[in-house]
Amino acid sequence: MAARILLVEDTPTQAEIAKAMLRQFGHEMRHAETAGAALAMALEWQPEAILVDLILPDFSGIELMRRLRAAGVDAACIVLTAHGSVNTAVEAMREGATDFLLKPYAPARLRVTLDNALEKRSLRQALDTAQTALGRERFHGFIGASPVMQAAYRTIESVAASKATVFITGESGTGKELAAEAVHQASPRKSRPFIALNCAAIPKDLLESEIFGHLKGAFTGATENRMGAARAADGGTLFLDEIGDMPPEMQVKLLRFVQSGTVTPVGGTRAEQVDVRLVCATHRDILAEVQAGRFREDLYYRLYVVPVALPPLRARAEDVVLIARHLLGLYAREEGKAFEGFDGEAEAAIRAYPWPGNVRQLQNVLRNTVVLHGGETVTRAMLPGLLLHAPAGEMNAAPPAAAIAVPAGSIAIPVGETLAASEKRLILAALEQAGQDVPRAAAMLEVNPSTIYRKLTAWKKA
Amino acid sequence: MSALDPQVAHQLAEDLPPDVFRTIISTFEEDLGRLAQELAAAAQAGDQDGYERAAHSLAGAAAAVGAVGLEREARIAMDHRQPEAPASVLPRLMTEAKAALEALHDLIN
Repeated sequence: MAARILLVEDTPTQAEIAKAMLRQFGHEMRHAETAGAALAMALEWQPEAILVDLILPDFSGIELMRRLRAAGVDAACIVLTAHGSVNTAVEAMREGATDFLLKPYAPARLRVTLDNALEKRSLRQALDTAQTALGRERFHGFIGASPVMQAAYRTIESVAASKATVFITGESGTGKELAAEAVHQASPRKSRPFIALNCAAIPKDLLESEIFGHLKGAFTGATENRMGAARAADGGTLFLDEIGDMPPEMQVKLLRFVQSGTVTPVGGTRAEQVDVRLVCATHRDILAEVQAGRFREDLYYRLYVVPVALPPLRARAEDVVLIARHLLGLYAREEGKAFEGFDGEAEAAIRAYPWPGNVRQLQNVLRNTVVLHGGETVTRAMLPGLLLHAPAGEMNAAPPAAAIAVPAGSIAIPVGETLAASEKRLILAALEQAGQDVPRAAAMLEVNPSTIYRKLTAWKKA
Repeated sequence: MSALDPQVAHQLAEDLPPDVFRTIISTFEEDLGRLAQELAAAAQAGDQDGYERAAHSLAGAAAAVGAVGLEREARIAMDHRQPEAPASVLPRLMTEAKAALEALHDLIN
């Protein structure tokens, strides 16, 4: 494969021979006769490999390699040396040269050495990229180095450049809006608007107007024209949060918008073309919503193009303390407190708690702790009681439902059974039905998954 | 004894297109003229550094085309640990240079 090769050689005969060979191999090649010229050329041209003669008129090839490295030039350096200077070539290898070639060299020897050096460089770059991707502790607004978050970061990065609709799922407090913002920020649309709308927070009568806008006089109270979120997001990204809560009549209108790419404001007749990248999110199990007939199947297939599943905090045990430390520093600065960290017991309690409310709950707990206490170190005693009574090791445990007897199939509730016992029976049956998938069971029961986690924790303790 | 190492010179002549090989010989000839002058001038001026530097370049150029005899004499000239007077090295070096050039031209023809 053709590569950019810089030849640093001051003896014209040797340079001419090397150039002839490199041309035969099909490489793109430039030639510098001095180390200074080579340095300038490498900075400007960023070659993939550099053939360096050790003795140069201005400064040595070894010094050139040091300066190239200091300047951040990422090229494979191959030292060209005569028999008598093999020791110097070994020294050059210690200074970061990839290989060395004894002069004079045959074309085949140069080709093999160069190919090996280029391949080694390419593998090292791939490894660096993979390590960077695996080791990221932060990604846009996210904090977390756990493998599940690395997978989410990679999906977001991969999909960002396209216009494909992204469907984000995850329990409340897992960072769905953060993920939507990350998709926008990592995309070519980042300089255009990011408009977020929470479908569950807007009265259903106003949702159409909020998304598509309205004309003055379209309905009582429409005293002025309103642009609407879809048109405001033109060229950018429209984030529809809690789309699982969208009323059916609005789902039809959204489907039309997704299919046609046009918006018609309430009270208007003319459809307007908009260029919007759609990102949706829900805490519900959207497939269960489709199966239950509450969410249109055709809309589901239109929206569920690239799913991004955000894991609950209990599935990212290694991230909890990382996030807690970040939040503590942030809140301490905001509240003018001196907190610098947690003691061992406090960290253990934070790590052990299952965090059913996810990062949002962690935020609230730490804000509360910072506001109510003082000092440099957060101790166990400063944490709210609910953390201190959580059984150890809960973070890594599977939902504890499996440890409790689960009735199979349909359930019969005996008259006279306590409400608490019936509730437990019903939740466990729903979990059984959902294959122990808490969000799906929660969707069946129309409760928040955190409610189920809280109950399971309480039953396990009892 | 041949002035050229066939492993190097003949290999180059075989591996490279004739016009490219001709350009290389022509470049070598220019190097030879320039470096021989620099060598003689440095010797006359008593400039040891300049003398060794020119000898080093000459050794490199000679090695590149397989001019083994010339390379050997150039390396003697550049080796400051076993000094041999320029007056005795340079004539031998010039003889080897002439022989190398003739042998290279024979390869072209």
